[in-house]
Amino acid sequence: MSSMILSGDTSGTVTVTVPAVAGTNTATLPAATGTVMVSGNMPAFSYYQAGTGATLANTTNTKITFDTKEYDTANAVSSSRFTPTVAGYYMVGGCLTLPSVTTGYSVTAIIFKNGSFYKNLASGQSGPANYGTSEGSVLVYLNGSTDYIELYGYQYSGGGAATLGVGVGTCFFFGCLVRAA
Amino acid sequence: MLYDKIMALYHSLTQQDFLTVITLQNDSDGKGDYIAKWEHPTLAKPTDEELA
Repeated sequence: MSSMILSGDTSGTVTVTVPAVAGTNTATLPAATGTVMVSGNMPAFSYYQAGTGATLANTTNTKITFDTKEYDTANAVSSSRFTPTVAGYYMVGGCLTLPSVTTGYSVTAIIFKNGSFYKNLASGQSGPANYGTSEGSVLVYLNGSTDYIELYGYQYSGGGAATLGVGVGTCFFFGCLVRAA
Repeated sequence: MLYDKIMALYHSLTQQDFLTVITLQNDSDGKGDYIAKWEHPTLAKPTDEELA
């Protein structure tokens, strides 16, 4: 393995290595200014409800909490709040399933940024043979220091409605960096 | 629930009001439901005493 070692501005080094390879290979750098992204500075996370559901009061934006981590590459989620330390544009999303919502009423998952409404995800309506489910994703800029996002839920069935937290695929919250600032 | 208490005070409120000029919120921090936004053009925001 051959290496090229670059000194940091004030301390430390970055080593560029090339493993043993066959033939001639070319890695082309674009003629543009920016930050090279590698897996170590591209946070990704996924959390879900394994067994502890949340109850959404009628017509009340309610923060959804998640009890189980699928992965969190940068350990950037605490108390169901994602606060990354890398500035950039993140694809974030989630899914809510509310079995007890009365037939004909909708469920909406909402992305909150810094404690305030940011964007709705696609609403879903419950029916005689299907649960009320809302899911989707949005692109959001996070500054890499103070910005954070959370997933909230909204329903107006007339009473409280609990989420279906039975595993990785019913109520979940995810995100990843798609472009550095 | 907070929604029920508000509706008991103001029967004329509609679902549309709660999607536009009134926002109820719960941050799942143990503090319960609260009024995050009240911008109704004619009805005054209920006081804590009225909601107690």
